[in-house]
Amino acid sequence: MTERDDKTLAGEYVLGLLEGSAKLEAERRLASDVAFAREVEGWRVRFAAFDDAAEPHAAGDELWRKIEAGMPAASARPKASPSAWTLFWNNLAALRATALGASLAALLLAVGLGFAIRAASQQPMMVAVLLDGNRAGAVVHAFADGRVVLVPIASINVPPGRALEVWTLPSRERGPVSVGLMNQARTLPLSLKDLPPPGPDQLFEITLEPATGSPTGRPTGPVLFKGNTALTL
Amino acid sequence: MLATEYQLSPMTASRPDNATEAQVAAALIRCASGDRAALRVIYDVEASRMVGVARRILRRQDLAEEAVQDTFMRVWRAAATFDREKGAARSWIYAILRNCALSILRDEGRFTSDEDAAEQAAPMTENALASLPEASALRRCLERLDPARRSVVVLSYVHGLSHGEMAGKLGVPLGTVKSWVRRSLTSLQECMG
Repeated sequence: MTERDDKTLAGEYVLGLLEGSAKLEAERRLASDVAFAREVEGWRVRFAAFDDAAEPHAAGDELWRKIEAGMPAASARPKASPSAWTLFWNNLAALRATALGASLAALLLAVGLGFAIRAASQQPMMVAVLLDGNRAGAVVHAFADGRVVLVPIASINVPPGRALEVWTLPSRERGPVSVGLMNQARTLPLSLKDLPPPGPDQLFEITLEPATGSPTGRPTGPVLFKGNTALTL
Repeated sequence: MLATEYQLSPMTASRPDNATEAQVAAALIRCASGDRAALRVIYDVEASRMVGVARRILRRQDLAEEAVQDTFMRVWRAAATFDREKGAARSWIYAILRNCALSILRDEGRFTSDEDAAEQAAPMTENALASLPEASALRRCLERLDPARRSVVVLSYVHGLSHGEMAGKLGVPLGTVKSWVRRSLTSLQECMG
């Protein structure tokens, strides 16, 4: 792709004109491709004058109260980082209590990955390590801007004519929802646009399904890996 | 609407400048350490303008406030991921706002855009253009574009229209809209640097 194409693509992304897979791809590159991220920021700055010129519409204390009321863990949220540990360990306790086989080693891996990713580029808000017993197969990263990406960290055998399908459980009432399908293990942007952003302790799993995905819309094949989200530090 | 009873503070009514950016960036960094008062600082400085930006996309005050509420939740949760090296604090916040507003807009079945469809492209474009300061590079460079090509930039950024909605409003094929967008972006980039 030429430099000019990238500039235009970044512009279309900032205008809000990319849809579907083109949008997901742009978001993936925004997180991983420094040159592309720079193009995006360039367009945001160029168009910022429009936002600055918007006619203000008073936002009162009512709206602020709603924001305050919805702040997750806000009252328990610490001022300084030491008690962020408390928050994390609370989540850890909840996560372990789900008896999904999340071993301490895997959780330490999640913490380690959280640090590694922060150092590398954009830090995800949530991480889920998907396990098969004690073997970690993939990591799900949920970013603040709504992107959720699955990254395999072990090779996964996919027999011919079969595919890996990724599921999440946004709520027990709703049941498992398919968020991605691939014929081999690779980094995959997950499609959660019709779902609320993942919360802490939300289940993700990978099942083996027919090549075109589960025929029923629910997992039908064996569960290969599964794990729950935890807040990153 | 409840919120219209409140008076604008001078801060929210004035155009943001470098000091506004510095203030918001500092508050965002404090948010990352869990300081709720810092989020309130951002609210006091930006919320009314954010409602204005969201209203141009969503038209309704209640939906605009919902977008702003979603944005503040995300800003609070994600403050630690903000990286000053990579971009400005305000452009980061407004990018989140635009994402939230566009999600609400495109959320099928929740929103009818009859009003949007009926409004003419030309006055929508010209009003948005006229709101820009005369000295702004964006305004100067948009004014150099042919009116139809100018409108696709304004209608998508300011009003959140999709390619298809613009094709309908402008009465041209989808492919034409797409090529106008690309050429306008190229011209703008050359003009604004």
